[in-house]
Amino acid sequence: MLLSAFWSFGLKDCDSSADIGAARFSIRFTRRLVLAAAVGLVAAQPRLVRSAVAPDDRFMDDRFMALSRLLIPHNLDAEIGRRIAAELKTDRAPFRDHIDALLKLAHDRRAAVVEDFFPFASDQSKAAALRIISAWYLGVVDDAPDAKIVAYELALMFKPTSDVMTIPTYSISRPNGWGATSPPLSSMPTF
Amino acid sequence: MSQAESADIVVVGTGVVGCLIAEQLLDAGHSVLMLEAGPRVERWQIVEKYRNLAPITTTNLDAAYPPTRWAPFLDSTSPLTAVDYLQLEGPNARAYRQDYVRYAGGSTWHWAGICWRLTPEDMRLKSLYGVGRDWAFDYATLEPYYTRVEQALGVCGPSDPELQWPPIRSKPYPMGRLPFGPGEQKFTDAAARLGLKNLPAAQARNSGVAYDGRPPCCGNNSCIPVCPIGAKYDAASSLPRIEAKGGKILVNAVVYRVEAGAANQVQAVHYFDPDKQSHRVTGKLFVIACNGIETPKLLLMSADTRNPRGVANSSDQVGRNMMDQPKLVAELTLAEPAWTGVGPVQGSSIMQTSQGDFRREHAGALFRFNNMARSRLGAIQALNKGLVGKALDAEIRRLSACTAELTIEHELLPDPNNRLTLSDKKDALGIPKPNIYYDVGAYVRKSAESYSTPLVKQLAREMGATDVKVTTEFTNSDHIMGGMIMGANPADSVVDVDCRAHDHPNLFLPGGGAMTTAGCGNSTLTMAALALKAADAMVAQLTHA
Repeated sequence: MLLSAFWSFGLKDCDSSADIGAARFSIRFTRRLVLAAAVGLVAAQPRLVRSAVAPDDRFMDDRFMALSRLLIPHNLDAEIGRRIAAELKTDRAPFRDHIDALLKLAHDRRAAVVEDFFPFASDQSKAAALRIISAWYLGVVDDAPDAKIVAYELALMFKPTSDVMTIPTYSISRPNGWGATSPPLSSMPTF
Repeated sequence: MSQAESADIVVVGTGVVGCLIAEQLLDAGHSVLMLEAGPRVERWQIVEKYRNLAPITTTNLDAAYPPTRWAPFLDSTSPLTAVDYLQLEGPNARAYRQDYVRYAGGSTWHWAGICWRLTPEDMRLKSLYGVGRDWAFDYATLEPYYTRVEQALGVCGPSDPELQWPPIRSKPYPMGRLPFGPGEQKFTDAAARLGLKNLPAAQARNSGVAYDGRPPCCGNNSCIPVCPIGAKYDAASSLPRIEAKGGKILVNAVVYRVEAGAANQVQAVHYFDPDKQSHRVTGKLFVIACNGIETPKLLLMSADTRNPRGVANSSDQVGRNMMDQPKLVAELTLAEPAWTGVGPVQGSSIMQTSQGDFRREHAGALFRFNNMARSRLGAIQALNKGLVGKALDAEIRRLSACTAELTIEHELLPDPNNRLTLSDKKDALGIPKPNIYYDVGAYVRKSAESYSTPLVKQLAREMGATDVKVTTEFTNSDHIMGGMIMGANPADSVVDVDCRAHDHPNLFLPGGGAMTTAGCGNSTLTMAALALKAADAMVAQLTHA
């Protein structure tokens, strides 16, 4: 997968080669991916890569997305959802069980939004739900130094302040185009 | 061992100091060879690395620059890695965890770009206040070099003398000031109500216009750890130009010995490649500019029978007087939004608080608003509360907007007891790791207790803080100074007024290590000014030769 391959291109991984990457880099990456990375689009373009998905996985991905849409009242990117689901599936049985339990609870309570059913979930289901929500917001399933990033630009953590705050390395302004205007807290962006 | 290379001028280090000198010597028609311990990478690689960091690691500002095996530096990935390279001891060991990068381009990759000058008073501490040392020359001598550096790096700043620091200038800044975001404006307004002036910082960041082939700043708010568009000066952007002028840059070349010969002239430096094959490089003049820690380390490692305490160290001052600006941080919770993350990560400071007759008794300090976007911190904290739905979004927005950080940076006096020595521990190439004893001293502690901490609390209250927590443990500001201290007397200093080693007529040691006093402001502009002064001396020396 692109992200994992790219992540592994860490300078820590370099051996004693005096030239830190050019040779290996050209072998491991296609021209298209190198160009995409060169303009900083790898994390920003989740649809760049689609991995082959088995039918059962696709079924689970669909259920994961259905649950995610109930847990998070925002537009969600399907490719990022697939990445999160792939990370969560490493603990396969509990992951499936939690999805089933939370979807059933939402269905039983005729929930339209997370507030309709989350308070009534078991502690285990709540923990699973919070883990899913956290992954969508932080762009990482487990926030640890070596974690694989599933989203940066589209991580939801940047959205509630996107009317004011820059996503670091991106720009929402123009040369000297920013100022001291301070919008109120109540003006929550739509996302 | 192989005889690898030779040049008129051999420059060890490819940061701002090395690059400015290399370019000036090339312009004067001399051959230049630069040696860099670390690798050379492209900007997009660092940007990509940074974007693929877990949010929890974003407080580790070096995480996008993993050290190579052969050119280690402080790695803050974990508490264990953080203590692996720099061996620190003393009452304030934690405060000397200096972040620097051993990559081509040096630490300018992740500097904030702030370009404060010293004041005339900062250079006369001994005669005015009876503390520290006096510089061997005055502000008027340094001023033309400040001006040249501002032109060379592309420093923006205010045209109004009332907003300049200090307002003693021979030429205007090449570009006007950058605007404030809401947070810095709120801080400025609060300071004004207390009778203090928060000044727009002089910054090596293109303001509104392109400069020197680099684009204008667009407020990407990642100056630390990397400007993704190259609007901020970094030495990496100088390297292609140096090569175009005929300079040669060898990377992954870890210099481990300075070789002195007849009449104590330096005649070569020796470096290891990553496979520990040794190479010898000869030249006419040698510049060691690999920062205030690595340079004194290299000099001490180079001891020989003629220089038993290390090269350039007849005074026993190499590695002593290690300085920084010990930092404290105030965390604020505010009733109303301050908003961070609009514009560069730093853009202003209160400087007048660094000056005054109180310097007889305690250190001065600067105060600044930290403008790094707090959205990630807000999200992490809100998620930890177990919130969902609209409550989660609202709390992320509140925590991001209504929390802020004020930073205090204190002036530290040169103290020979704050000393770098060679550790018994070795790195992967068998090179000793630096060992540093560090005590911020009573001068700084008294300032923190009676002056800076009370004042930052006042500033916080004036900003509308409902809660203020001020750290009590000093931390590093990454402004490494003092280890090759400048002075007129060879008995108590390492370099002369041109950063030439007193002991070696063809060895130059410019940069922060040569600074006699530290001031409260970021050290880069002074380091760079000393580099140009040294470069003038080198050109003259070669001409006369």
